[in-house]
Amino acid sequence: MAEDKKETEKLARCAMCADMCKYNCPTYLAMGRETLSPQKIARLIVYNEKGLLEDEDGFLDLMFQSAMCGACSRHCIYGDYDLRKFIHKARVKAFSNGVIPEDVRKRVETFKKFGNPNGERGVIDKGSGDYGYFISCSSYKDEDLLKAMDTVLSKSRRRIRQFGGGDICCGAPLYYAGDMDGFRQASLRMKAEIETKQVRRIVVDCPTCLKMMTEIYQQIGVELDVEFIHTTQFIEALLKQGRLGFKKENRAVALHDPCILSYDLTIAGVPREIITALGFNLKEPAYSGEHTHCCGAAYGAKIGNHRLKDAVTSMRVNELRNTAADIYVTTCPTCKSVLSEINMKYITELIAERIIAEQ
Amino acid sequence: MSQQGILPRGFVKRVKKIVGDEHFSQQEADLISYSLDYWLYGVFLSQKGDLPALPSAVVSPASNAQIQKIVRCASQYKVPITPFGGGSGVLGGAIPLDGSIVLNLQRMSRFLNLDELSLVAEFEAGIIGANLELELNNRGYSAGNIPQSLFCSTLGGWISTRAAGQFSTKYGKIEDMVLGMEVVLPDGKLLDIRSVPRRSVGPSLKDLFLGGEGTLGIVTRATISIHPLPRLTIKQSFVFPSIEVAVDVVRQILRAEARPAVVRIFDEAESERYFPEIGRKVTTIFISEGETEYTDLDGKVIRRIARENGGKSHGEEPVNIWLQKRFDIGLGPVLMQYGGIVDTIEVSALFKDAAKLYKDMVTSMKAVEGVLEVSGHYSHFYREGACLYVTFAGIPKEPLRYYQDTWDAAMEATLKNNGSISHHHGVGFWRMQYMKQELGDSGVGLLKSIKSALDPGGILNRGKLIDGGRQERD
Repeated sequence: MAEDKKETEKLARCAMCADMCKYNCPTYLAMGRETLSPQKIARLIVYNEKGLLEDEDGFLDLMFQSAMCGACSRHCIYGDYDLRKFIHKARVKAFSNGVIPEDVRKRVETFKKFGNPNGERGVIDKGSGDYGYFISCSSYKDEDLLKAMDTVLSKSRRRIRQFGGGDICCGAPLYYAGDMDGFRQASLRMKAEIETKQVRRIVVDCPTCLKMMTEIYQQIGVELDVEFIHTTQFIEALLKQGRLGFKKENRAVALHDPCILSYDLTIAGVPREIITALGFNLKEPAYSGEHTHCCGAAYGAKIGNHRLKDAVTSMRVNELRNTAADIYVTTCPTCKSVLSEINMKYITELIAERIIAEQ
Repeated sequence: MSQQGILPRGFVKRVKKIVGDEHFSQQEADLISYSLDYWLYGVFLSQKGDLPALPSAVVSPASNAQIQKIVRCASQYKVPITPFGGGSGVLGGAIPLDGSIVLNLQRMSRFLNLDELSLVAEFEAGIIGANLELELNNRGYSAGNIPQSLFCSTLGGWISTRAAGQFSTKYGKIEDMVLGMEVVLPDGKLLDIRSVPRRSVGPSLKDLFLGGEGTLGIVTRATISIHPLPRLTIKQSFVFPSIEVAVDVVRQILRAEARPAVVRIFDEAESERYFPEIGRKVTTIFISEGETEYTDLDGKVIRRIARENGGKSHGEEPVNIWLQKRFDIGLGPVLMQYGGIVDTIEVSALFKDAAKLYKDMVTSMKAVEGVLEVSGHYSHFYREGACLYVTFAGIPKEPLRYYQDTWDAAMEATLKNNGSISHHHGVGFWRMQYMKQELGDSGVGLLKSIKSALDPGGILNRGKLIDGGRQERD
């Protein structure tokens, strides 16, 4: 109870702040709409809780127009607060009231039918060992990424169990849709799946999956007795161990930092070390690292409004193009897919190509 | 909280056609979000849903041509327009009074052009300062305008309020930076003031809009001067025996042609707040930056003069602490949750009056019932004088009376010491009540004549700067 009061006080404080974080908010910037800025969202949440709003459906719809990327919490002057908790609470209410946006509803339906947001039926389950590689829904349909990861895994000199696809999904689309019952079921399914694999450490290529399976599962009381690392951390370790021999190259590489990796997992430095270790000339977009912008995340179901998603994606594509780099690289399969317009690669592909070149 | 139906139907239809349905909004969430800027008394009231004014609609254009058409249409239907940039103004300049529509400039935020040879860059007016700075920094430059509101104010807002940044002693204020601009006038015509270093073709037209607060035209884009990122930065701090000594040291430093980018003299209360290890003493910080040789010399001149006048060096650390804390305005909202009100008042004066102005202002503000704390610092220095920036806080029984009386005390002390009632926040809605005392009948009359000539229908930003607002005082 006291904790709730404390959180409500933080929200009220946010609602009166000067909105200093909005300069980095991708939805505000892409749409040029004050209403989408974090402080205004907070004010509307406060007003809704006080019963001051006449148009609650309009308010709830607005709650789906956040990228939930965490840029605002990263740049919060108070430093102990995350507006996304309150936005998510409103989404849960919207879901329970049955007033979620059409785009979100369709994705939830697909998820309910197939167990993943993309309608995939096939399952990957190969290899064995106490190391696991979890193939996220975005990676599952990306042959180039999977092929590259196969190459890297083969160099690791480890026995690795690869699994994913079908209804083996972290449940993030349901979480972002506000369907907490569905999300809990998905998380329990995932827990059971991992337990059957009998692995002690799992490499995950999708930052959102990683966030779900660590931070968010814990919040709903689902504990997984396994260690998770992101692909970049796995690769970094292989590089340090000298297990990846590669031919260096000095072309210009622009890195797109996935929001969850930078803001929630705070491992933005790792991909930079990998890219420079490969000899590439790293080019930073004006918005990178702690200032990165969300890609729009169509498949992550984070933004419920398609027009808004397109605007955020278009803004990010332009920011990356302004680097005039030869190659565009990211560390999230969903970002890769969303930013396909500029031939985005997943970082593993960059490495696999160099390994092949050496051979 | 809705205002639907109060606009003429013909106006709504035409404006929707100009910007597209999705950029004309009367949704409750939008009306609330554009109802208030960062006028702190308004923010205090907003906690309970008491908003000073709701716009009748929010219109978000994407080009000069669209703005021109909207302004013509508004003029024809006599619908007032309040331009809205970042909504960071602290005097209520962006509050949509009198049933205004809000003209939202946030879709016009592009970085348009960089001319590295001439050291100028062109942006649309709706770009937020931090974004402008990030774009320039990424290319090796800075605009040198770093206000405390950097992360929430826009270029158009800086121009419209004659803003100043923390590094202004070296790089100048916004009026020193703007070389050219485009402005949509109240009759819908576009004024293009081309970028040149200087011109002598009658009074400077751009000065009508530098501080025009959106009452004389809508600034839509501007070309500003830029600077290569500094090669060397020197940070220094000194404690002086008194405010008077500190102010005089800075006067001597500027007289000696040193040009530190940042100079700040903190009074005892602010020093204790920023630098607990120094405590209640008068602390002054300096940042010199730029080319190596000049910067090195700048640092030496500052050090010599500070020491000659009894300054005790505290090294770089206080400067680093200030750099870390300089955008932190978190105290205001926290205090407001407990019924408190915090606000800031910035004024300017010549060196001959600067020290006494501080004493008089602080003394008279502290005497107001409900005031708990008044503190101040000098910043934005000139060879001739400085800006004095005072913060007050209190938990009043009668909020409006406390707020009014504290402001009255501050303004009276300023005018008594020959100062100006505003250095860089502007006038907006709240400070209008002191305009006659600042400018005299002739000055106010002249401004009103200019307004009438440019905007006879009173369409643009009604109730701000010149007409309306809180009752003027004699």
